[in-house]
Amino acid sequence: MKITLTVNGEKREVEVKPQTRLLDLLREDLGLTGTKEGCGKGECGACTVIMNNKLVASCLVLAVQADQSEILTIEGLNCQDELHPIQNAFINKGAVQCGFCIPGMIMSSKQLLDENINPTEAEIKRGLSGNICRCTGYVKIIDAVKEAAHKMRSRGEDDV
Amino acid sequence: MKKQSENVKDRPRTSGRDFKQYKYFRPKSKEELIRIINDFQKDLTIIAGGTDLLVANYQKLYEIKNWLDLNLLNEFKNIKMFDDKVEIGSMVTHQRLSKLDQIKELFPVLHQAAADVGSPQIRSRGTIGGNIVTSSPAGDLLPPLLIYDAQLKIISGEGSRVVDANEFFTGPKKNILKEGEILEKIIIPLKEEVYRGAWIKVGKRKALIISSISLALNLSIDRSNLIKKARICIGSAAPVPLRIKTAEQAILKKELTEINIEEIAQIVSEEISPIDDIRGTAKYRRQVALNITRKALSEVTNQ
Repeated sequence: MKITLTVNGEKREVEVKPQTRLLDLLREDLGLTGTKEGCGKGECGACTVIMNNKLVASCLVLAVQADQSEILTIEGLNCQDELHPIQNAFINKGAVQCGFCIPGMIMSSKQLLDENINPTEAEIKRGLSGNICRCTGYVKIIDAVKEAAHKMRSRGEDDV
Repeated sequence: MKKQSENVKDRPRTSGRDFKQYKYFRPKSKEELIRIINDFQKDLTIIAGGTDLLVANYQKLYEIKNWLDLNLLNEFKNIKMFDDKVEIGSMVTHQRLSKLDQIKELFPVLHQAAADVGSPQIRSRGTIGGNIVTSSPAGDLLPPLLIYDAQLKIISGEGSRVVDANEFFTGPKKNILKEGEILEKIIIPLKEEVYRGAWIKVGKRKALIISSISLALNLSIDRSNLIKKARICIGSAAPVPLRIKTAEQAILKKELTEINIEEIAQIVSEEISPIDDIRGTAKYRRQVALNITRKALSEVTNQ
């Protein structure tokens, strides 16, 4: 089946099988390996991407369901050579250890801050509740989201 | 949005054409949907949000032949308000239910339960219709639907029928749907009485967890401050979401302050039929049923 979608601002046309997942399409066909596969069951959040301004687990979306949609992955977040404020905040706060969960964490943070640029700690936890980290714990990740929110607020708006 | 980073090259295609000639249907209208059902009835797997189905598919629990995807059926995504009822299309997501002020105002228990489903990633895809048709005893929207006396409109090639949600579920992951039948919408009646409701979900963690046990409560208070209708429904503690009718009867025609909370909690704890599983033992569930019934009744009666 042929589908057309916009991935990180670029129009793509791909031939997919009915059972191909959006995750497979992104990683295998389009080479966007920033999006990770963890559990494959929607529980870990490593495969999180933003589809039509909604947070989705790309392992639980069929590629064909992404037909005509707009997808944002971790690769689409930075601007030229400059990292997104959320990415910078994760580095500054030491929120990254092995890094496997981070693309998903950052996409969830992005969606959260797009909807609410001044989240409380409880709201951050809720926004990231679909993402599991097995190394560092969540304290520094939450700190990073707070810092990113602060930076993005003082800048006036998200520039991506 | 920016251009894709240049260090990422396309890989050789692994998806491509499927040699098995299975079909993927994406009807855009009810008429088209009915046509497909009539033609392919037996070999269709229906996908709504996919948050349960694709997990099972990933674990290769069964082979899917022809897919029927309801996601382009915009008429199944409507929420319509009438004077005496609200109609919720089966393809309305948990996310929408948990963010709509009207749902919060009219059906706070349903609203709260939808907000407690899974994670943002699950709520954005999972649907109320999928939650119902999957018919897991742990389906978080089911007890709220039962306490609001929801009805389900089911369509097929032969016509349509409306059934009480309370009569829909027949066992774990089992319901009265026949082959070729599709849940079109959920109809919740609106009553004039004041509602007092509560929702309690207990699981091993606070988010993204299948309920070990849940409770939905709704009391309708009439003008003379008497309880006109009572609904208590427990999830994950019986083969189906279970209304505790003896307890409901025992509350009727009383003022809120007259409810014997201890007695009701005892009845609830005795009438459920929980099992031991990975989410808790039967003994644990009976104890928690007692505790959450006390808690819910204390909340609504301020006792």
